[in-house]
Amino acid sequence: METSAEITNTVYKNKDYGQYRELLYSYNENGNFEKTVGYHGEPDRVVLEQSWDLFNERTEEARQKVLSGKASPIVYYMEKILADPLGLSMMAGVSYWKVKLHFKPAFFKRLSNKTLAKYAEAFNISVDELKNFKQ
Amino acid sequence: MIELNYEHRQAGHCESGVTSNMLNYHKLSISEPMVFGIGAGLFFSYLPFLKMQHAPVTSFRVWPGMIFDRTTKVLGIKTKIYRFKNPIKSMNKLDEVLAQGLPVGLQVGTYHLPFFPPEYRMHYNMHNMVVYGKKNDRYLISDTVVEERVDISYEDLMRVRFAKGTFAPRGRMYYPLAVPSTVDLKPAIIKGIRKTANNMVGVPFPLIGTKGIRYLANQMRKWPEKLGEEKASYYLGQVLRMEEEIGTAGAGFRFIYGAFLDEAGIVLKQDWIREVALEMGEAANHWRKFSYLGSRNCKKRAKPEESYDMLGDMLMECAGKEEKIFRRLARIR
Repeated sequence: METSAEITNTVYKNKDYGQYRELLYSYNENGNFEKTVGYHGEPDRVVLEQSWDLFNERTEEARQKVLSGKASPIVYYMEKILADPLGLSMMAGVSYWKVKLHFKPAFFKRLSNKTLAKYAEAFNISVDELKNFKQ
Repeated sequence: MIELNYEHRQAGHCESGVTSNMLNYHKLSISEPMVFGIGAGLFFSYLPFLKMQHAPVTSFRVWPGMIFDRTTKVLGIKTKIYRFKNPIKSMNKLDEVLAQGLPVGLQVGTYHLPFFPPEYRMHYNMHNMVVYGKKNDRYLISDTVVEERVDISYEDLMRVRFAKGTFAPRGRMYYPLAVPSTVDLKPAIIKGIRKTANNMVGVPFPLIGTKGIRYLANQMRKWPEKLGEEKASYYLGQVLRMEEEIGTAGAGFRFIYGAFLDEAGIVLKQDWIREVALEMGEAANHWRKFSYLGSRNCKKRAKPEESYDMLGDMLMECAGKEEKIFRRLARIR
């Protein structure tokens, strides 16, 4: 089992991460398989942090694009809930090619309240928040 | 108010843990590695045409739901599996089954699970957990990932059971109905090992089993030129993330499988299986070394000789070791 000194992790930027203990199987030199309860190891932390870095980067990029008018708020909120276009189309119940169209601000402006409500429900926000992007 | 006398044990893998715990409740004592082995949980597939979280899918175990199905089928246990369209109906059915005194396994999405470790909170719809009671309008949950017992509100439970997206659970719930008091494990073990061996070395398709590992190794060598340093590193990270999935300690379920072979050798009274188990342990440690060196690559702290070429070589070695193991296991009687 890892010592408590290793909980103060240097890999994660978010301090809530890496606080849960898991059951880990391992194989030692004596040829025995054993079970230990401990924190997940360094490689695990590195690759998880890498994916969170990518998600945060993509969200930030999307935010800049929305602010400069190159993309619709849907792109930002999609990245924020860690979804991809296909996942979003399933979550909101809007077909894939329509989702792709709604990424463009010109098409987003023409959206009806009904479609906006579908997206808002998927993002767990109100329609007003989706219409008036202030982030 | 219902609270069943359900024993919560943490497990390495959610589905085999859930199955083993539920069978234990029905007085059939069976360990988690045993379930994993009988259900033929070990697998490898690399699917470059299917993207998850912006990178190709690599999988180290079988499709979700299969371990429970196979284990109960091979052991001759009657089960009930439901899927729903209507969330309210699904919750009513859950209450009904709980009132009969049966713990219920659920397939859920992890994104909205309140008690889940936050670093794993991504859109993953194939997680399994067990409901074993209801107290003050909160459902009592045994999640094998979390150390303690937890609970969840009605709305949250409905939400995670009907999570949307790829592989949506659609309220899938399952539970064993009648469990015989004594089960003959021997034929089940042999069947499970044969199935796994066939999956790993017997399928004539390049993306599955040890062939899949080799294919991935060859692809991996080309990643830096083809995709650029940044993307190659992320693709590698995705492979490692699948390998490091909760509780597997960086060997993609190879440790659990080794523990199963160890146990199987004792049950079948065949010493050579125990030898194979040791080989499996060695292979698992090799996988672990691969993930350690790979993660240095992701952190951009790799030495020049720890390049993708070297990682490809390591994967080739893993494939060679596993091919040897499963060719031997395929001859089990």
